[in-house]
Parts: sequence; C-alpha cells; structure tokens
Amino acid sequence: MESSELYHVKQQFILGAHKPLSQLPLPAEGSPDYVPTLLYKARSLIALNDPKTALEILPEDTENVALKAVSSLARYVVENDSAAKEAALEELRDLSVEIEGDDAEGSPREKALVRVLAGTAFARAGEVEEALETLGTETEDLEAVAVIVQIYLSINRSDLAKKQFERSKRWAEDDLLLQLIESNIGLVTGKDSFSNSQSFYTEQLANPSMSSPHLLTARGVTRLLRNEIQEAKSDLEEALEQQKGDAEALAAYVVAGGLGALKKDETEENWSRLASEHPTHPLVIDVNSKAQEFDQLLEKFPVPPSALVSV
Amino acid sequence: MSVMLTKFESKSNRVKGLAFHPTQPLLAAALHNGSVQLWNYRMGVLVDRFEEHEGPVRGVAIHPSRPLLATGGDDYKIKVWDIRPQNRRCLFTLHGHLDYVRTVQFHHEMPWIISASDDQTIRIWNSTSRQCIAVLTGHSHYVMSAQFHPKEDLVVSASMDQTVRVWDISGLRKTSPQTGGPGGGPGNGPPGATNFETFDSFSMVKHVLEGHDRGVNYAVFHPTLPLIISAADDRVIKVWRMSETKAWEVDSCRGHFNNVSSALFHPKQELIVSCGEDKTVRVWDLGKRTAIQTFRREHDRFWVLAAHPNLNLFAAGHDSGLIVFKLERERPAFSVHQDTLYYVRDKYVRAYDFANGSDLGLLSVRKFGSPYVPPRTLSFNPAERAVLLTINSDNGIYELTTVPQSSQGDVKDSSVDGKRGNGQSGIFVARNRFAILNKASQLIEVRDLANSVVKTIKPPVQTNEIFYGGTACLILSSTTSVVLYDIQQQKTIAEINSPPVKYVVWSADGGLVALMSKHTITVANKNFAQHSLIHETIRIKSGAWDDSGVFIYSTLNHVKYCLPQGDNGVICTLDNPVYLTRVKGKTIYCLDRSARPRTITFDPTEYRFKLALLRNNHEEMLYIIRTSNLLGQSIIAYLQQKGFPEIALNFVQDVNTRFELAIECGNLDVAFENAKTISRPECWERLAQQALKQGNHKIVEKAYQQTKNFDKLSFLYLAVGSTDKLLKMQKIADARGDPMSRFHNALYAGDVQTRISVLRDVGLHPLAYLTAKTNGLDDLAAEILEAAGLTESDIDDVPNYGVTSLKPPPVVTRTTDLIWPAVQRAESFFDRALVNGVLEGGTEPAYVNGDAAAAGAHNALDAWAREEELHDEIDPAEEGWELDADADEFETPVGEEAAEEDEELGAGAAPGPSETELWVRNSPLAVDHVAAGSFETAMQLLNKQFGVVNFVPLKPLFLSIYRSSHVYLTPLASLPPIALHIRRNPSESSPSRVLPVAARSLQSIRAELLEGYKAVSGNKLADAQTTFKSVLQALLLVALTSDDEAKQWREHVTAARNYLLGVTIELEKRRIAEQEPDNTKRILELAAYFTQCELQPPHLQIALRSAMIVFAKANNHAHSARFAKRLIELKPDPKIVAQARQRIAAGDRNPRNSVDIDYDEFTPFEICAITYTPIYRGSPVVHCPYTNAAYQPQFNGKLDPLSDLTEIGASAAGLPAAW
Repeated sequence: MESSELYHVKQQFILGAHKPLSQLPLPAEGSPDYVPTLLYKARSLIALNDPKTALEILPEDTENVALKAVSSLARYVVENDSAAKEAALEELRDLSVEIEGDDAEGSPREKALVRVLAGTAFARAGEVEEALETLGTETEDLEAVAVIVQIYLSINRSDLAKKQFERSKRWAEDDLLLQLIESNIGLVTGKDSFSNSQSFYTEQLANPSMSSPHLLTARGVTRLLRNEIQEAKSDLEEALEQQKGDAEALAAYVVAGGLGALKKDETEENWSRLASEHPTHPLVIDVNSKAQEFDQLLEKFPVPPSALVSV
Repeated sequence: MSVMLTKFESKSNRVKGLAFHPTQPLLAAALHNGSVQLWNYRMGVLVDRFEEHEGPVRGVAIHPSRPLLATGGDDYKIKVWDIRPQNRRCLFTLHGHLDYVRTVQFHHEMPWIISASDDQTIRIWNSTSRQCIAVLTGHSHYVMSAQFHPKEDLVVSASMDQTVRVWDISGLRKTSPQTGGPGGGPGNGPPGATNFETFDSFSMVKHVLEGHDRGVNYAVFHPTLPLIISAADDRVIKVWRMSETKAWEVDSCRGHFNNVSSALFHPKQELIVSCGEDKTVRVWDLGKRTAIQTFRREHDRFWVLAAHPNLNLFAAGHDSGLIVFKLERERPAFSVHQDTLYYVRDKYVRAYDFANGSDLGLLSVRKFGSPYVPPRTLSFNPAERAVLLTINSDNGIYELTTVPQSSQGDVKDSSVDGKRGNGQSGIFVARNRFAILNKASQLIEVRDLANSVVKTIKPPVQTNEIFYGGTACLILSSTTSVVLYDIQQQKTIAEINSPPVKYVVWSADGGLVALMSKHTITVANKNFAQHSLIHETIRIKSGAWDDSGVFIYSTLNHVKYCLPQGDNGVICTLDNPVYLTRVKGKTIYCLDRSARPRTITFDPTEYRFKLALLRNNHEEMLYIIRTSNLLGQSIIAYLQQKGFPEIALNFVQDVNTRFELAIECGNLDVAFENAKTISRPECWERLAQQALKQGNHKIVEKAYQQTKNFDKLSFLYLAVGSTDKLLKMQKIADARGDPMSRFHNALYAGDVQTRISVLRDVGLHPLAYLTAKTNGLDDLAAEILEAAGLTESDIDDVPNYGVTSLKPPPVVTRTTDLIWPAVQRAESFFDRALVNGVLEGGTEPAYVNGDAAAAGAHNALDAWAREEELHDEIDPAEEGWELDADADEFETPVGEEAAEEDEELGAGAAPGPSETELWVRNSPLAVDHVAAGSFETAMQLLNKQFGVVNFVPLKPLFLSIYRSSHVYLTPLASLPPIALHIRRNPSESSPSRVLPVAARSLQSIRAELLEGYKAVSGNKLADAQTTFKSVLQALLLVALTSDDEAKQWREHVTAARNYLLGVTIELEKRRIAEQEPDNTKRILELAAYFTQCELQPPHLQIALRSAMIVFAKANNHAHSARFAKRLIELKPDPKIVAQARQRIAAGDRNPRNSVDIDYDEFTPFEICAITYTPIYRGSPVVHCPYTNAAYQPQFNGKLDPLSDLTEIGASAAGLPAAW
C-alpha cells in the first residue's frame, strides 16, 4: 500500500496539478517513497514542458528501470533534432525489451511504468501501433489503460476505447484514474451530453485537498462542449488567472470568445497572443495550415471582373 | 351491421364441432363422418386430418397454449392429439363415458379437460395423469354442452332436461392438486356407478337455470361479465345473470324459427351471435336483445358456432361444410399527411406521429352511423384540418368535421358540428371541395365545406368507389376498369382495365400511383400513361410508397416490394395481416387489425440494390455490395437474368461461377484466372472459343496449350504467322512421333524436306517422290526412288507435273504480337472501385427515404396545403448538393488510406472516421463544412447554393468559425492533447446526427443588423455599409435548424440587401452632390430611389424627408408632394407632419415638376445596384443568386459589387433544408 503522502502525490499527478508537484520537496533518499515521489515530480516537470529540470533532479547512474525510462522520456522531449529524439526512443525500446526478461530488475509497478512512459513517447512520435503494442491491450495497469484509451480516442476509435474501459472496470474498482478515463471517453463521444465529464470535473473541483487550474480548464472545455459558453468563459478566466499564459486555457478561451462569449476584437487579440506565445499549440498550427489551404483553394474559384469596372 | 364477410368456406360432411387455434390461422372441425379436419383458413388448405374415431365426432377443442387437440365422439371416447406436423399422433384416449360425447374443452390453466355426454354426466379429466378426476351428475337427460368459466372455478352445462346448470368446482382444485380424485382412476376402464358419490363430494351444483321449454343445446359464460347465454330447441336464446348466491333470467332473444344450435357472446363487442337449424346465423344486440342481422343459407342447417379468442373471427358449421366469417371490416380508415397518420380506432379519430410516436385521440365519431360499424374511409384536409369519413351503415353516409388542433380535456364529438349526407364514397379533391359518390344514382357530387353541392358529375362508367386522382382529378373504380377523370373538364383522361380497385396509394411526390385490387396491383404514373401490373395469388391488403419510388405492400401473410418496372419480392412474412401506412428508411409503419399503430423493421438492401441497378446508380450499388452480405444465388441469378453478369462477378467468390460469369460478360482476364484455378479441359475449351471470338489469340494459345490441342495450335500459329512457334510445334510433333501432326506442321511451315521425310517415314514413297520432284529436289527424288527399289524407267507412265508453286502464304501483317483490336471495354465502375480498394470509401449514398423527403410532397393533396406555407424563395434543392457532396468524398484518394490501414491492421486499431468527417457527411450547410475544416466542399457548396465566387472576404469568417469549433485538452501528462469538437447538439451522440457548433447564431447576426440600422439612423452611412456587407457575409455561414429560421434568414438577407442598396445609393447621391453639384437630375433620381428601398418606417421617414426637401428645392413640387403624402402615411412626429402638409399644399398650388427625372413610382420597379437606375417590371433583369439584388442584363456573369461575393446571374440551388 502506498503511504498517504504518496497517494496524495499520485492524485495530484492524475488530476494535472503539475505545478505544485514540480515544486514538491522530495522525501529522504532512503525512504520507500523517495523513488516514486521522484518519478512523479520528474514526470510533472516533463508535463510542464520543463524536461531540463527533470533531467537535473534525476540521478544519471541509476539502475532503476523506471527512473531510466523517465530520463529517456525527458530527453525525448528536450531534444529538438530527430536523431537525438530517435536515440531517446531507442533507449525506451531497449528498456521495454529489458523488462520483458525474467531476471529483469524492478518491481512490477516500475515495469508497468516503463511501458507507460515508452508508450507515451511512442504516441508523441506518432507511432500508434508501436505504442499500443508496448502498452499491451491486455494490460492490467490502469495508467497504461489510460494511455491506450487516449490513443484510441485520438484515432477516432472510441469503440475500442470503450472496450478497454469496460474491461478495466472489472478490476480497477472505482479508481480516480478510471473515472478520468471514463470522462475522457465521454468528452470525445459526447455520451449523455458529456455528463460524465461534467460531473467528474465538478466533483474534483470541489475536492478541498487540491486545486488545479487544469481542472478548471478541463471543466471549461467540457462546458464549451455542452454549449454552455458563458459558464465556460468564467471557468477559463479563472484558470487563466491562476496560471497565466497557460496555452490550453488560452486556446479554449479563444474558442469560447469565438462562440460569442467575448467581443470580436477581444477574441482576435487573445488569438494573436496565443499564436505568438504558443506557436506550437495544435490549434495554432491547425488554423494556420487551414489559412494556407484557404488561400490555395481560392485559385479554384476564378473571380469574374467586378461589375463596377465595366460601368 | 354491414355484411357478414365470409373469409373462408369448405365443403365437407356435416360439421358438428369447431375450434380455433389461438395464435395460428388454424381451425379444427369435427365431422359427422368421424373425421377431424384441421384447416388453415387463411391459405385455404387442409393441413391435417385425424381419423381414429368410429362414428360421428361432435366435440373438438384446441389447447390454449400447447399444440394439443381434444376430440370426443359417438364412440364414447375422448382422444387427445399432438397436432405438430412432425409428430402428429393420438397421444392418448380417455375412456369412461357410457354414451356419445357431445363437447370437450381444455381448462385455461389447469391440465383439465371437461366433457359432456349423453350418459347424463359431465366429466373432468386430468390430461397429465390421464384420469377422470370428477364426475358431475345431476342432469336428468343428455348433457349437450359443458364449458369452464374463463376465469373462475365454475362450469356451465346445458341439457336436454331443459335446464342449464352452473357447477362450483373450486373443491376440485383444492383437493386434487396433482392427480385424480379419490379412489383412483376410472381412466383405464369404465367406472363403476359406485364411484359417483365420492366424486360428488367436491363438486356441487350452484345454480339450476330453468326457463327453457325444450332441451337446451348450448350454454356458455360471458368472457368478462357475470352472464350466461343458452340456446335451446324452444327456438329461444336466453340471457342469464348470476351473482354469488343466485342466478336469474334476464331476457330472451326470439327470432329463430327452428331449434337454436348454438349461441355465443362476441368476445369484444356487446353482441350475441347464434345459429340454428333454421339455416340462419343471427347477430343480436346484447343490450337491447334485438336482432341486428340475419345471414341465411339455402339448404344447410347450422349446427355449431365458434369464436376466435382474440380476433374478430367466427366459424359456423353446417350440413355440408363450414364457413369462417368476420362481422365487420377490420381495415381501419386512415390517411397519412406528412409525419402524421390520421386513423380511426374504436370510433375515435386519432393522430399518430411517426416521428415521436405520440398517439392522440382527436375526435369522437361514436354517433356517426351504426354503433357497431367502424368508419370505412377517412380523408384528411390539412388546409382546413378537416376530416371526411364514410361509413357503410345506413346505406352509406359521410360526415365532414373539423379536427381540433390538440385534444385538451374532453374529446370533441363529431356530431357537434359535423355535416352529413348520403354517399358511399367520399374524398377531398381540393382544399375546399370534396366529392361524394352516390352509387345508386350514379352521381358524384362535388361539395364545398358548407356541404352544399357546387357541381354534379355523371361518371362515364358504373362507379363503385372514387379516389383522389391528383389535382382536380378523380379516380373512378368500376367493376372492370379504373378511370382517371378530370373534374373541371368533366372528361375521361385515361382508362385502365383492372379488376375492381379497392385502394389507391399515391407516391410521396405524386408521380406514381398504386391501384390495388383484391389480387392485383397496377402501378401507374400520374396520367395513367404507363402502367405495370402485379398479380398476387393471396389477397392484397394495403401498401405504401417508399420515398425512392418503390411500392411496399402487404398481403395476408407477406410484406413485399414492387419496383417501378414490376419486379417484386418478399420482404418479410406476417403472422397477422397489417395495414401499411408509411415506409420510412428501414421502418414500416402500419396499423394492426385492431387499429393499433405498429412498426416493422426490415432490411431494404435487396430492393435498394435492385433499384440502384435499375437506375444505374453505381455508387449506391457499390456501397451496398461493400456493406451488406447480399450474397447468394438469388441475387446472382437476378443479375444474370437482368443482363448484368459483370456486376454479379463482383459478388461471387466461387471460381466456377466466376468463370461462367466472366465468359458470359466477355471478361477474358477474369475468365483466364479462374480457368487456371479450375483447370478442366472443358473450361479451357470454352475460354478458347470466347477468346477466339474476341480475337485475343494469346489467350487462345494458352488455352490450346493447356488442353494439348496441337492441331488447332498449329493452325493458330499459321493464322497469326508465328513461324518460330510453328517450328517448335514441329519439334513437338517429332517428339510425339505423330506423323499427321508432323506433316501438317511441315506443310504450314513450308518445310519441304521435313514433309518428304514424313512421307518417307510412313512409307508413302510415291507421294514423297512426287513432292521431291515437284519441288525441284531431284537428288532426293532419285534417292527415294532408289530406296523404293525402282528406277526412272519404272515410272515412265507418271506424267511430269512441273515445279510446284505451292508454298505457305506470305505473312502480310505479323499479328503474332498483336491482339485483335477490340473496342476498349469501358472499365466498369466496379472494376475501378475494386482496384482502388475503397473499403471505407463507399460513403453512404444519400437515401432520400423519408428522412430527407420532408421537402417532397407526402401526398399530392399537400400541394394546396403548402401554398399556405409561404416558403419564400427558399428552394430546398437537397438532392443536388447531396449527390455532389458525396461525389467529392468519393473522389478523395482512398489509395493511401487503404495502405495505411494495412499497416495498422496488426494492432487492430485502424483509425475511425473523425468527427469532422461526420459533420461533413451530416450537413448540407456550408457553415458546417467550414467548421469541419472542409473548406473546399464548403466553397463548392456556397458556389452551388448561392453562386459565391469571391471567397476572399470570407476568409476571416472561415477561419474564425473553424477555430471556434475545435478545442484541445490534455487529460494525461505528456501525451499530445485530444482534439475535441464542439457540437451544436450536445445531447446527440449518434454519429449520423452530430453537427458542429453554430459559431454565429441568427440572433447574433440580427443584433449586427440592428447595429447597422442604428448607424443608418445616426447617419454613419459608411459604417452602415460595412456592417450590412458583413451581415450578408455572416448570413452565408449560419447554421439554420428549422423552416422558421430559414424564413427569418431570408428576411434578414433581404433586409440587409435593401439597406445596403439604399445606403450605397445615398452615398452615391452625396458624392454627386459634392463632386458635380449641377447634376440635379441625378441627385433627384437617387433621392427618389432611396425611398424605394423597402426600408423600415423610421428609416423610410428619413429617406422621404430628405427626398421631399431635395425635390422641393429643385422645384419638383408634384413629386415632393407625393413624398410628403407617403411620409404622412407613416404617421411621423406632428412637427414633421406639419412640414409635410406644407409640401402637399405647395404641390397642390403648383403641381408641376421642373426637372424631368427617370422615376415612375406607379410602375413597380427594382433598382439596378450598379447603375442605380430603375428596372421597371417586364424589362430584362438579372439577379444576384444570393441576395436577389437586381441588375441590368449587361452585368450578367460579373462579380456582384453589392456584396462582393457572387457572380451576377449565376444559377444557384438556394438554401438547402438541412433539418
């Protein structure tokens, strides 16, 4: 069983409270909580897109497979050129093979984590098939299931996602992560008017032991999906207040603005801020490519001369 | 009471007992000759016969839930039979009665059988233990019938001792839960009389009903009320009432003039049915005890009567057979209008909504006609919300009533304001006219809604019924033909020979009509110019049109389809007849025989495929092939028979069939592939023949090679001039040692040497010699001669032939490497599709089946209802866009997709269709395509719908709409965020209905429009111009959800266009006033036109005031006065009124115009939005396809300067109805 501190850390991690986790003081090195806490802290740092700091706190000469995997993931995120990224992926591949061996070091929990981290990296690299294979669709590790479900959702296979969820419901009891998985599926499929996601995030926001702007953003997004634009706007504003410049909240805020929550010029202002501050946010990339596509398409429609000219 | 409708009749020996099967259309009849027959009365066939009784069989019963039959006969025996065809047999026989057994009956829940016998006893038997468990004694003469109570532990019996007795058998249930009574079973042998007392102890006579003066033949309980009915030889039917303690006679029904054999309560209505030896079946009113109807037969005395436990069905047995009959029509009167079914159930007019299943009573018609007769037909008038009902009772009457909008509280009774009259058939023929047929006088009266006759028509044929015949037409049904009759011109348009037409169903668009008779359906087009006939052996009950032009109809036991050209087939089988009302998608809506709405789900694939085949709709065919398992011999045979072997080819996996089909359609490649697999000589031969026909000698060659057909092969090589191959053949022939073949090949190849050597080898020396000689090979000739042991001199008598010129013909054109040029077989759609491997690519074709057909007329009658609905100029040209949209999707390069899939199949996770694809698929609105990011299709849609050509101004809108429809969330650390797509219908999660969020609502655009108005009032005209332009742009990309919104939308477009035009004119006026102040004429004209821009009153006031002043200044007082008058009509401020009055006065004083301008306010005109000149009505004009702004014709094809978006005069489909 996990200690209550560790349990709390895990909750925070699942619910996306990465900021407080990244600043968490680590327990003494000999404590049994040391490695797990360190793992969560490093993963939070990576999630916050600060893999450098993560690499700093991670010991380089460790034999622990999970720690090694986290370092590899951090390196994968930190590196920019493709060869280095590929090298990091290669490390993760090796680790995934290594833990398959009978004499492999590490607890089952750590081995599972290696798979989760490798799967995460593969998914980031777009290697869907490899990610799914590494994670193993028969796995009984809930984190792995969460990743699998999200991968399925990203390729529009909510049917398979649901199957995974139904399967894990049998053994995962009502774990918080399971609820999150259910909520994620709900967000994509829109089952029962997104009620699963709505109630999940509302409930977690009411949880006194934790506060995370991510939850506010998530509920804001859910409300957007429910066409509750004004409510979404207030959630997102609050999230932005707590965590200034958060790309996700800002992007969602732009969407809310576009749906009538804000005036046109305010929305455009937010949009240009998002586009300049977070040029890699998928929304920005997507919209920019669509703008290009639009310009290309214009060629297909020849514009006749204006009638005014011929007067 | 209408007629007694005979459903089935059979001829046989005298029928003494009858029993209906509770669920199947089976009837058991016990005959006087000892046989028991089992009839299927629906199909009219004898299913089975049970013949083990000796002598007449009188009692028969079928078990209420198990396949058991009980019979009792004059051989004292009761037999129980298993009636399942696979193991029909007599299960056991109950012995015990000492005289004829009169009736038998199963208990409704206990395993009991009751029997009545001439031995004066009633016995109850346990059919499990096969023992007698009770003997009821007390009657002092033959017991003629004994029946269990349908619920309570009671028995009623009738006897020749002139009494009816009611027995309490509750003791039986208590004391003998499982087996026979005390003392064991007399079942194995005749019981001793001593046992009677024992049995009697737990069954007792409760009531003895005395009143009949002769023996009683039959007595039975009412199914729900505490009533008993008895029929006796005193020719009287008596009704008895009973309580816990006593029973008494209520009344008698007198009328039979001979012994009454049987009498029954109607299971559902307050009626009594009886029959007797006076050869009649009679129907009585249970309440009034009066005779309602009598059905007479010439020679046959009636002996027995049976009622079906659930249905309105009776059977009567007589001297020479039996009849099955109904007492009333079951076909409910109904009419379908759009999504609503109006029908009559239990004498209430009800409305059933196909869309949401609501079913409301609207109107009571209880007082219309006879209370026992349901209305026969119903015709609905949507314009007036009126119904016209006809009924057969009282010699045929009709009633016209309005239907309340909704039924709040008490349902209205039609007698309150119904208008009635006599007539056998009646229908609405126009919104305020209906036609009534009077059969006797053969007159059709056309009446108005006040029920007064406006026209009388003498039909050209003896007319039995009239139907709606399309606008201003009637369909007249006579005994031998059906006539399409024009009411206005009073003449026959067309006539088709047909058996009497009973029902008529129009297709949704009013283009086709199905004329249904008892056994035929004639499908005709609307002017009867073309028609096809379908014949059914079984009675046709009803039908409805699928919206794709397929007629779905029901017979007694099937639902079938019929394609326009006459092909038909079975969709499903029916247990009980239903009356189809509507077919929508995969659902058949119908009314069952008790007039309850039901739905049947079916698979339309087969007929859709056939229809697609008929219409050459390859996309749909491909889609069906891909998505359904429509395999099987029947469809292949169908395709072959219809001349489409190449399509059948796509279905078949079996190599033999594939080969046959490929040969048939001349597809040599496929045939060759399959021949290789089959590898049988006859296949190769057929392939060779077919290939030879096509001149494909390569395949011929291969086929010959396979069959080792050397001779033909050689000849083929000769024919195509392939000398090297011929040489090879020669070698083969050598190897085979076949001299004939060798000779042939040598001959073909022109190889004289070989030829000679062959001849020599086979010993034909003379020939060899001559050949050598004639070919100038003298040495060789001499050698041969020598070999033959002859010399020159020996053959002196051989004439000299000279040198032969024989040699193989020279090859003119070497065809060895050429294949005879054939007309390129058009690559069939399927080949391409199969090659492309469009597994996912087959987008579902837009079935316009019901769902989308809201636009299409549901009923030709709607035509005039729709006039009311003022659709503006919104033309829902859905089909146009939908097909195109599909085509676009279809062309997307699916190759890559398929390749990707292959790679990923390993992980079992091929990507599914994304939400945005669904959006594109689900909506015809450009805005939804924009939100989905499918800009190209969006542009195409805008182009087609509104003629938009200049998309540059729309770019910000496109991008902001797209941007506002997608949101990202990262629920798990470090994974890429999930893209979430915002829907406008969040409660909807079915992939076929999801639609993107509406970035701009009509309301928000309206707000913008109001802002524009404000700018006009505030004289910020440049701002206003920009605003109105932006409104017009935004209106192009707004999601509409209803007809109301579409109407508002059109109003907004028109308003924005008018204001934009007005503002532009006013700006032009100001520009001229500034730049060329002397051009008064133009300034005045523009001021005048500004007043004609259909602005709203406050803005019109501004325009009018300004015009009034400008014109006054220019001394055009007459015009100025006109403007002033118009101004006053708008009731402005008193101050302004005063001002206007001055102008009017000035105009009166001086009714003249000093400047002559081009402005005629009395002729309606539109204003050209470029030249700002009027285009008077009747002059040539072109319009903007979107805003409908008017232009001089010379601007056709130019970019509309008003909105900057569209091409003037381009054709446009208009706003699609997406809801």
